[in-house]
Amino acid sequence: MLSCAEFLAEFGDYLDGAAGPELRAKLEAHLHECKACQVIVDSTRKTIRIVTDSDSFTLPADKVEPIVTDVMARIRQKNL
Amino acid sequence: MPSAGNAASPAHSASVEPYAFVARVFAAQQALPKAIQAEQRLIEAIAAQEGGLSRRHKDRLFRAVASAWGHDCRRVTEPDTSCDESRNDSALLAFAQKLARYALLVSKHEVEALQRAGFDDREILETVQTIALGQMLCTLANALCPDDERQPGSEIASAPSSFAANVEYTETPGPYLQTRAFTGSPTYPLFRQQFGFVPNVFADQMLRPDVVEAEAEVLQQVLIGEDVLTRIQKENILLAISAANASTYFVAVHGQILTVLGLPNEDSDQVVQGEYPPTMPAADVALLKEIRKLALPAAVSPGKFDPGALQAHGFTEVQIVEAVTMAALTNFLNTLQFGLGATPDFPPRRIFHPKDLHRSAAPSRLTFDETQPEDADVPVVERVQNGDRDAFEDLVRRHSRRVFSTLAGILGSTDDARDATQEVFLKAFENISKFEGRSKFSTWLISVAINTGTDLLRQRRPSESLDEVADDEGFRPRQIQSWAENPEQLLATSERTDLVREAVLRLPPKYRTAVLLRDINQLSTDEAAAALGLSIPALKARLLRGRLMLRESLAPHFIRSGNRSFNAQLR
Repeated sequence: MLSCAEFLAEFGDYLDGAAGPELRAKLEAHLHECKACQVIVDSTRKTIRIVTDSDSFTLPADKVEPIVTDVMARIRQKNL
Repeated sequence: MPSAGNAASPAHSASVEPYAFVARVFAAQQALPKAIQAEQRLIEAIAAQEGGLSRRHKDRLFRAVASAWGHDCRRVTEPDTSCDESRNDSALLAFAQKLARYALLVSKHEVEALQRAGFDDREILETVQTIALGQMLCTLANALCPDDERQPGSEIASAPSSFAANVEYTETPGPYLQTRAFTGSPTYPLFRQQFGFVPNVFADQMLRPDVVEAEAEVLQQVLIGEDVLTRIQKENILLAISAANASTYFVAVHGQILTVLGLPNEDSDQVVQGEYPPTMPAADVALLKEIRKLALPAAVSPGKFDPGALQAHGFTEVQIVEAVTMAALTNFLNTLQFGLGATPDFPPRRIFHPKDLHRSAAPSRLTFDETQPEDADVPVVERVQNGDRDAFEDLVRRHSRRVFSTLAGILGSTDDARDATQEVFLKAFENISKFEGRSKFSTWLISVAINTGTDLLRQRRPSESLDEVADDEGFRPRQIQSWAENPEQLLATSERTDLVREAVLRLPPKYRTAVLLRDINQLSTDEAAAALGLSIPALKARLLRGRLMLRESLAPHFIRSGNRSFNAQLR
C-alpha cells in the first residue's frame, strides 16, 4: 500500500487520465482507504477546472485585431 | 404510430434521400427492432412531414451534416443545382455547417441571421430538428456501417487542438425562438410521469408539437426499458457523450437523473471528466470509453469506434446496438439543445466552454501526441518562408491570444503583455527561416514567448527568473478540508477571475509556466515540455506542484461550509 507522500508524488498522471492500469490500480487502492487523499484529488480536480475555466489571462476579443494591425505595420515599416 | 418492421420502407428512404446508408443502418440494427421503430418515428415526424421548410432545404441540411462527418453524399444524390443560390440558402447552409460541426458555438446571433434572411421561427425550429436528425443518422452510420460513403482517406473532421483556444465565442441567453405553453400538450403527462418535469429542450419545440410527441415516444421506447442495458448504463452513456460534446444542459440533466437513481455525484463527475469511478465494473468502463468515440464531430475523437472491443468484454450484439442507439439519440438531443438555446432545468454543476471540446479528449491526449497530427500552420509558415510577408498576418491572428496569455501569466501586467506579444511576433517573423518543423509552429512560437517573457522579467526583477527559484522540496498539502460541491458558485465570476490571477502570479515562475501552458493555454504535455525545453517527467513534476500550490491558495475560498466540511489528516 502506498503512503500518502508516495500517492501525492505519483497522482499527476491520474489527474490527467493518463495513468497506466498498474499505477492506476495502486493509486485507487490507496484512495479507497484514505479520505485525506480523496479530498486532495477532488479539490485538485476542482482547482484545475476553476483555473482552466477562468479568463484571468485572456486577451479580450476586441484586442486581437489591433495587435495584428500593429505587428503587420511594424513588419512592413521595417521592411523585414 | 411507430412503423412496424425493421427494414427501411421506401417512404423512409425517400425522406432522407441524401443518406443512402439508412437502409444498411436499419439492417445492422435488426437485433433491436424497437430502435429501428424509434428512428423511423423521428424520420416520419421531422423529415417526411411537410412543414414550413421545403424538401430541397432539408436535403441540403442533411448533406451539410454528412459533410461534417466525412460522408460523401454526392455519390448518392448530386447536389441540387437547379435552383439559384438565394440569400436564404446561403444563410441556411452557414447555420447548418456551424450547428453540425461546432454545435457549442451556435448562439442567438446565428439564429437572428436566419431570421434576417427571412426564415420564421417555425422554419428555424424545423432546421434545428432536421440537423439533429442528420446527426443521429450519421452517428448510427459511423458506428454500424463505418465504411459507407466515407470520402476516401477522410476521417471525421474533429476540431483541431488549437481550434478551441482561438475561436471567438459569445455566450447568449436562450431560448432563441418563441415558445408556447406546454401544459396543454398531450405529451405533458408523459414527461411528468417519466421525468417528473418537462425538460426545457422539449418545451422549446412547441411550435411543432407533433415532433415533440414523436420524441417523447422515442424516449419511452429506447430509454425507459431495462430489457437490454440497464437504465444506469444508458444514463451513463447519455452523460458521457453529452460531456464529450461539452453540453452543459444535458450533463446537468443526466447527472441529476443519476443522482435520483442513487449514484454519488462524485461518480457522475468522474464520468464527465472521462475518468471512471473505481467501483464501476470494468465492462461498463470499457463501454463508456468506447461509446465516447461516437460524440459529435466537434469533439476530439479518441479513435474509431470498435464494437469488437465491447464483445471482448462480454457485451452481446443487441446490447451494442442499444448502446450505439443511445449515443445517436444523445447527439440528436444535444444538437437540439445547442440549436435552440434551451436553458438548463437544474443549476449545472459544471459549465462547459468551447475549450472543453479539446480538454474532453484529455485521456487520449498522449495518443494524440504520439501520432503527431499534421500542423495546420505549416502551409502558411512555408508561404512566409518563401517571401509572402502578408501571409504572416494569419499566424498573428491565430496565435495572438495564446501568446498574450502566456506573457500575461509571466509578466503580470496586461499592458506589458500586449507590448511583449508584438515583440514575440516580430522575433518570430525575423527568425521564421529557422523554423524547421521539428515541433509544431505553435509550440515553437510559445517557446519564443517564454524566452521573451523570461528576459523581460529578468530585466525588471533581476532577483527573479524562471530557473533560479529555490525548490521547496518540503512542500506538503496543508489544506485538507473537503471543498464545496460546486465551488464556482461561491464567488462571482469577476472575483474568481481575480483570485485565479493572483494565485497564479504568486506561484514560483517555474511552476507558473507549467500551469500556464497546460491548464490555461491547453497545450498537451509533449507540447508544453517542448516549449519549456524540459523532459516530460520534469514538466509533469512542475505541473503537479503548481496545481497543488494553487489548490492551497484557492482552498480558503472554496471549502465546504458548516458541518458538512470534512477535515482529514495525511498519513
